[in-house]
Amino acid sequence: MDWLYLTEVALAGLGAGALYALTGVAFVLIYKATRVVNLAIGEILMLGGYVFFGLVAGAGLSIWAAIPLTILAGAALGVLVERTLIRPMLGESPISVFMVTIGLGSILAGIVELAWGADPLRLPEFIPNTPIFLGEAYVAPKVAYGAIIAALLIAGAVVALRFSRGGVALRATARDQGAAYSMGIDVGRVFSLSWMAACATAAGAGVIVGAIGGISPTMGIFGLSVLVVVIVGGLDSVAGALVGGLLIGLVEALAGSFLGGEYKLLATFSLLILILMIRPYGIFGTHEIERL
Amino acid sequence: MAGLTLGAVDARAQAQNEEIVLGGSIPLTGVFAFAGVGIHAGIQDYLKIVNDAGGIKGRKIKYVAEDTGYKVDASVAAFNKITGQNKVSLYYGDSTGFAKTINPELERKGTMIMAGASFASELNDPKKFPLQFLPGPDYTEMFGILMRHIAKEKPGASIAFVYSDTEFGRDPIAPGEKLATELGLKVVEKIVTPPGSVDVSTEVLKLRRARPDYTIFHGYVLAPIPEFIQQAKQMGMQSRFMGTFWSMDNSMVEKMGEAADGFMGVMPYRYYYDKEGTAPMLDKIRQMRPEYQSTAYMQGFVTAMLMTEAVKRTLDASKELTGANLKASLNTIKDFDTGGIFGVPISIPGNSVPVGRIYRFDAKQKQMLPASDWIQLGK
Repeated sequence: MDWLYLTEVALAGLGAGALYALTGVAFVLIYKATRVVNLAIGEILMLGGYVFFGLVAGAGLSIWAAIPLTILAGAALGVLVERTLIRPMLGESPISVFMVTIGLGSILAGIVELAWGADPLRLPEFIPNTPIFLGEAYVAPKVAYGAIIAALLIAGAVVALRFSRGGVALRATARDQGAAYSMGIDVGRVFSLSWMAACATAAGAGVIVGAIGGISPTMGIFGLSVLVVVIVGGLDSVAGALVGGLLIGLVEALAGSFLGGEYKLLATFSLLILILMIRPYGIFGTHEIERL
Repeated sequence: MAGLTLGAVDARAQAQNEEIVLGGSIPLTGVFAFAGVGIHAGIQDYLKIVNDAGGIKGRKIKYVAEDTGYKVDASVAAFNKITGQNKVSLYYGDSTGFAKTINPELERKGTMIMAGASFASELNDPKKFPLQFLPGPDYTEMFGILMRHIAKEKPGASIAFVYSDTEFGRDPIAPGEKLATELGLKVVEKIVTPPGSVDVSTEVLKLRRARPDYTIFHGYVLAPIPEFIQQAKQMGMQSRFMGTFWSMDNSMVEKMGEAADGFMGVMPYRYYYDKEGTAPMLDKIRQMRPEYQSTAYMQGFVTAMLMTEAVKRTLDASKELTGANLKASLNTIKDFDTGGIFGVPISIPGNSVPVGRIYRFDAKQKQMLPASDWIQLGK
């Protein structure tokens, strides 16, 4: 057994897993508060990548100005979508809302194609590019920094959920909407808040994912891999997204290097089926989740 | 009787003035849109040149295209719609999947020939695909051209193949391995990446273990090639990186940033900016479109050229425009000058044009520049 190789593979897997986890958090925030599975999260992530590209390459802003602006743009999009598309769907069947988010994904992909064209693009290099060695093990710098940023953002999300007023309101709403409402929590605002936070997170993730793999109108597919992550972790659990993301990243990396790239998806989906059989609500999910 | 004769003459006269239709299932959106947009423009421009010069024997060529989003079902629907509403003689398909799906229908109709964006090795079989052709070398032939160059540059070199887990990606891998053995090269690693994968760190680790002299990418347009090369270089790998047609567009390679320097690959057509020798068609293209045009554009352009040449030869021989006649005419193309799009005169004895050249990216000039002579397989 080549331990160095195994360590490197595991580190690469965890790095990729951190990005899954971050995008997973975006899924969870919305599901937790509003019980909506937002399938457009991949496209919102893509839009984040493009907005960043537009601000840096098009408007000539510095990278450090562009990142917060991209996140703000994500937040604004979240509020807009919630108020115009999701709020009117309140009370409709979950499938209808689900379909609205699929439609939203197609619209966003279309807008990006119209605005930036269909060519794949590379984001300007902003992540340090000096190779990182942990002991003797090599870690790709972009993946390592991406993972660190993802970890910080996730930590931020956890702290905000736990201690901020909005976070407490969101958790209360998630626990019992009726009770939260009667305690004076503005449930509508909580819905907006959750979409805002989730889309901001997704847009931020888009910048990192785009920095690693480049951006294209089809990069929304990334959201689909993340759907697996949150189903494994539990749709309404931030901790689940974190553990699910790291687990899937690790499984993919190990399967890819020891079995071959064609086994990556096979391994991931076998794991998904296995987890669903043992814990149908995901590793950390609440039992009452209604599956679609 | 006289009426009947008159009617027949009328019909023939009408047929003689009738427009010839080139239909197309074109991926203007979706994962392959970057190519589709170029192809679309290339076909239109060449047909404009032909039509402005009076068409073929006075008959204009009409281009009818539909967007497919690079999905086989949409391509088939577009085919049915276009062939249902027009008398189509030429058709451009967007993918290997479509080429294979539509083949029985193409043979049943027997009224047209088809080419497309796919250079799949499987299509390079005149028995199985009698009415189709590839406007360049098939993917295995591209590997052949690359490996011949490698065998010449460094005999006995070790090679790794990195390919996407798609029909496109897997195409030349098994025959490529066989060919490598024949040329005395060693295939030390084959790495397959799932479609749409973002992070390739584990794959790069695998590549480092194999330490190949050359790494050939296939089945990608851009991602994940740049990240792959960057990480490999950071780990101190000395491998030379190569690509096949669809990852060889100059604007795409330029987007690779630092990773682009020294990137090599095979290209059957000359680049837009190539000013070497006389190339009247390239001059014309530069005149029509002053800004850079992609290699996908060249592909669409030259496909339209070969198709119209087949039509011209069929009409010159006073034959009817059927699929079989058009294909037979296409196969008479020998030492044909494409006006400089292909770097050498070409022949199409079967279903492909096995010609190509190795280009290498020069970071200073930001251009793919020739790194070999034109290589013609089978010669």
